Amino acid sequence: MGSLLNYITRRVLFAIPVFLAVSIITFLVTNAAGDPVQIVRLGIRNLNPAQLKAIQDYFHVNEPLYTRYFLWLSDLIRGNLGQSLYSGSVAGKVVPWIGSTLELQIPALLLALAIGIPIGIYSAKRQYSKSDIAVTTTAIFGISMPTFWLGINAILIFSLYLRWLPSFGAISPYPPWWWGNIYTDQLAHIIMPLGVLTFVSLAAIVRLIRSSMLETLRQDFILAARASGISDFRVTYKHALKNAVTPVITVVGLTFGTLLGGAPALETTFGWPGLGYEFVLSATILDLPVVLGITMIITAMVLAANILTDLVYALMDPRVRL
Amino acid sequence: MNSKETQYTRRSAGQWAVAWRRFKKNKAGLAGLAIVASFVFLAAYGLLLDPVPARSFGCLYQGCTNLPPFVDSAHPLGTENSGIDVWNEIIHGSAGDLYVGIGATVISVVIGLSVGAVAGYRGGVSGAVLLGLTQIFFVLPVLVIILLFAKIFLFLLAQGLALSLIVLTLGLFGWPLFAFIARGEILRIRELEFVQAAKSLGASGSRTLFRHIVPNLLSPIIVLSSLAVAANIITEVVISFLGFGDPTTSTWGLIIQEGFDHIDSSWWVAFFPGIAVVICVLGFNLLGDGLSDALNPRLRE
Repeated sequence: MGSLLNYITRRVLFAIPVFLAVSIITFLVTNAAGDPVQIVRLGIRNLNPAQLKAIQDYFHVNEPLYTRYFLWLSDLIRGNLGQSLYSGSVAGKVVPWIGSTLELQIPALLLALAIGIPIGIYSAKRQYSKSDIAVTTTAIFGISMPTFWLGINAILIFSLYLRWLPSFGAISPYPPWWWGNIYTDQLAHIIMPLGVLTFVSLAAIVRLIRSSMLETLRQDFILAARASGISDFRVTYKHALKNAVTPVITVVGLTFGTLLGGAPALETTFGWPGLGYEFVLSATILDLPVVLGITMIITAMVLAANILTDLVYALMDPRVRL
Repeated sequence: MNSKETQYTRRSAGQWAVAWRRFKKNKAGLAGLAIVASFVFLAAYGLLLDPVPARSFGCLYQGCTNLPPFVDSAHPLGTENSGIDVWNEIIHGSAGDLYVGIGATVISVVIGLSVGAVAGYRGGVSGAVLLGLTQIFFVLPVLVIILLFAKIFLFLLAQGLALSLIVLTLGLFGWPLFAFIARGEILRIRELEFVQAAKSLGASGSRTLFRHIVPNLLSPIIVLSSLAVAANIITEVVISFLGFGDPTTSTWGLIIQEGFDHIDSSWWVAFFPGIAVVICVLGFNLLGDGLSDALNPRLRE
């Protein structure tokens, strides 16, 4: 057990330089955009000198770059994300939407795993059969599609043509969709983005499981298991699956970051009030402190997902802990 | 005796010919190659002949705005709200998107191969530092950082440079997987007997690396490159769709964005360029799968 603790400590310590690297890159890039005062002035023309002075003081405009970075970083570590360039605090603009991004991402990932693993196994067991060809063809189309474009097509069919589902937001102001109930209304809003995200992740997971399973089924220990008279079901779902699923878990955990990164386009398409949509809105109006805050929160989420993946991997495969 | 010798030399020289023979039997891979070739042709046609300039608003004055598809043979896929022809945008967009997809992949391969080669072959402190750097770049939330780069630098730079800037940014953040693969392969290959043989015959370090090791790690890199082009095209489409790209250059994402703004009146503007994206990306993915089967026969059957 000590070695597992050791392993996890190493992974957590590795997260620190990554977090710092992202903070340096994003801070430098947002600084290149220029003086916050100038950006505020693009939107608000008639600032009086006292207001200008207050903005300059708040963003330490007259300090050198590294001082500004360390002031921002020390605030960030203490959990203070600072003030937006326009109104309110960054935390107030960002934190409420973390939950709504996860509300979409986590069910999509779990659904995709729950559906994708059995389909991938089925496809591998019947390699080159008609059903396998149907599965692999659908899957390669699935991974070749921008998620948001599939979303646009879903809106065309289910919102504009059939008028079954709402196309925008997470909740309607009035009247609610489907039987006038607040819960069914939320359900109606989440179905399309969740379905689209699940389909695209599903395609990737099916391909991974299929190829990993094919490779495992070819190995000697499977032949040995079969030779000792273990049933086909047990060989497939106990011996082979356990070995085939471990590398897939790693890839899925690592791509969870990519999924989170893919959120901006999907959330913008469906007007889903998540971190990605807020990022796009803030970057469009150059609200740099909000953009910085969201980037760091997404980085922290990606790192947490990676550590969790490593933990699951270490629990499943004892060789890793050595 | 003599004929036997020539047979051996021919067989060892024909590594790529063997791979090509295997590739030719793979229908999906060939379909991928055909798709990629037709998009290259389409891009060249748009760039060299340029029958209708990109983003031309000519239709605005001829009353053919917002035309549905398959109605007017001059505008087979319809026109947009301000008279831009959808088919013409697909042609011009293919040049832009292939430039981003392939250009960024070339940059990633160069960086990844160099970093991976040094990390794998040299080892030691510099190898450890490079490996750590690769691991850091691997877990960065890349799309968010690329969007940030695109937004800020496009805001500062001249617009003609915008697409090249996106190529550079995608390339600079897309190399870690290439570095991991190059390093892993080098660690495996340098222990093989033919490398030991080359060394004991007195080959220098750089000769061993570039003449004996690098050619043998090319096949996984080629496979990954094809898949990376596909991924880079999708990322570019996302960047343009979100309005973080160059609004003056035709790309598929830009016209999809314009179509999405008028989705309730003209569905075809967002639909057909998306079909072009799917077919093109599918082509590179099929090509990658086909190359993987042809170059790594171990994984077959």
